[in-house]
Amino acid sequence: MVAITGSIDALTADTLVTALLDELQAGHIRLVAHFAGVEYTSSAGLRVLLTTLKDARQRGGDLRLAEIRPNVKQVLDLSGFTSILKCYAEVSMAVASFPK
Amino acid sequence: MSRPGVALVIGSGGVKCAASIGLMRCLHSEDIPIDLVVGCSGGAIYAAAIALGLDAASAASMTTTLWTRDVTSQPDRRALLSLVFPKWFGFDGRFGLKKDTILNERLAQGFGNATFADCKIPLFITATDFRTGEQVTITEGRIADAVRASIAIPFAFPPWEVNGRLCVDGFLSDPLPVGVAIREGAHVIVAMGFESPNQERITSGGRFAFQLSSIMTNNLLRASFAFHGLAHHSEVIAVLPQFSQRIRLFDTGKIPMLIDEGEAAMREQLPYLRRLLAASSAPQTTGAP
Repeated sequence: MVAITGSIDALTADTLVTALLDELQAGHIRLVAHFAGVEYTSSAGLRVLLTTLKDARQRGGDLRLAEIRPNVKQVLDLSGFTSILKCYAEVSMAVASFPK
Repeated sequence: MSRPGVALVIGSGGVKCAASIGLMRCLHSEDIPIDLVVGCSGGAIYAAAIALGLDAASAASMTTTLWTRDVTSQPDRRALLSLVFPKWFGFDGRFGLKKDTILNERLAQGFGNATFADCKIPLFITATDFRTGEQVTITEGRIADAVRASIAIPFAFPPWEVNGRLCVDGFLSDPLPVGVAIREGAHVIVAMGFESPNQERITSGGRFAFQLSSIMTNNLLRASFAFHGLAHHSEVIAVLPQFSQRIRLFDTGKIPMLIDEGEAAMREQLPYLRRLLAASSAPQTTGAP
């Protein structure tokens, strides 16, 4: 599980994508992103999620989100991300969603 | 450090688009200039007002005068007959159940003979080519004609010809035409969009048609916004006002509330926009038509 806090945007995208891809390269291909601390996401932030999602799935894993704030959920909905990403109300549910 | 080009895109949304006046009020108060403005359907009215340099009070006043219930009060009986008896009365692509006489008069009052060349900010108004379905980006000619084409609501008002193309409402090709700003080289794009409301009850053919239209429009909005957000090299900042009240087609009495909520929605995005503009060293847009 990775906890993300603050704003996911053009100013933080490089740092975040590096951190997430490092996790994948370390073999942690089943990622749960804890979004409770994410206050904001922009189009640049969405591109980070997409890059991570595609990389994770190419490696046989997945990126799943948990505890998304309503304003962030609204952007994810509008941009179609909730149709390609699995989202959960709680981290424990997201973790449990991966097959044993 | 050069300032990045900032574009404002105002999507379709009828009278709700008045929220863009509040957005502009916020940007003005923060001394953040706009380098180009794009408008679609109801958003075209406000995009034009902003591009022409109208202040918030004048833009609100113009809309209140322009968009009143009597704009749709004149049924076109011949059009209705042509719908039912096309062989007897004829039928073509210039169909609309309402006469557009008052609408055209109001647009002429609001915009006079102003053209795109009169704009203080480069203006782009989108409509939809009725024959091909392509998005039409209008950048020259009379603004009143461009707005008329952009707000040619299907079934209600007849399509409108601009620069040799018969056009219908811009929302049919893209309810939030962010792609125009990307194509024109904008760096940071502030996009104010509105989802169409779902009908609470389906009690007539009209409501049935509105519901189908909302379903298609909202899905098109999401698909298009998703593509452009991922395709853009920089940033698209979505400003999505959440109105505390249901807004109906002719709720011009709620314009002051819409303006306030539009300003509040922009203020939520302001900290990030400020940080982005401060950090960016990208070149200015070259978006002049």
